[in-house]
Amino acid sequence: MKRSKRSNTKRKDSGKHSKLNLFQKPGLKFFKSCPLSGKEAPVVDYKNIKLLKKYTYESGGMLPSRVTSVSQKKQRELAKAVKRARLIALI
Amino acid sequence: MNSYEHTLITPGNMSETQNQKIFDKYKNIITKNSGKIIKTEEWGIRNLAHKIKRNKKGFYFHIKLEGDGKTIKELERAENIDESLIRFLTVKVKKHDLETNFFEKEDVYKKFGKK
Repeated sequence: MKRSKRSNTKRKDSGKHSKLNLFQKPGLKFFKSCPLSGKEAPVVDYKNIKLLKKYTYESGGMLPSRVTSVSQKKQRELAKAVKRARLIALI
Repeated sequence: MNSYEHTLITPGNMSETQNQKIFDKYKNIITKNSGKIIKTEEWGIRNLAHKIKRNKKGFYFHIKLEGDGKTIKELERAENIDESLIRFLTVKVKKHDLETNFFEKEDVYKKFGKK
């Protein structure tokens, strides 16, 4: 029993980290998947202000994708949606 | 036939009847120029994120329509001349999303006490 438990924990530790850990081993890559792609991801739309505000500064600029870990394709979609929302003064 | 979404903004200090007149006018233009209205939404009076033509508030209308390039061309030509509009936006979409409404309709005129 003990062996199986240990092996389970080992598997989780190895590979890419999905959460920042205080006791993280050096050399492991920090990895977070894109929050906007996937099956149950929200739709990027210029009318969806709540979503757009998550990915912009309060001043209105876009947050960089290296902070939010949004994929390149979705970042392009976001940029277009933000510009449209700015035009009709929603953001 | 293409699918479009169209948003209109009128100044916030206009009355309900005035707003409705403007809205009906553009609906007529769409239907006359071989367009087809699928859904209309009224988002009501909203605070503008920044001032547009000295206005702080605006009344939002939203139309989901089907038509071709000529419909949009004629619609935007009429809107460019109109001085009672703050701004408008047309967006081409692949498919209309008729279920989600991001702006629930409120009784705006009750809230702000204007008639």
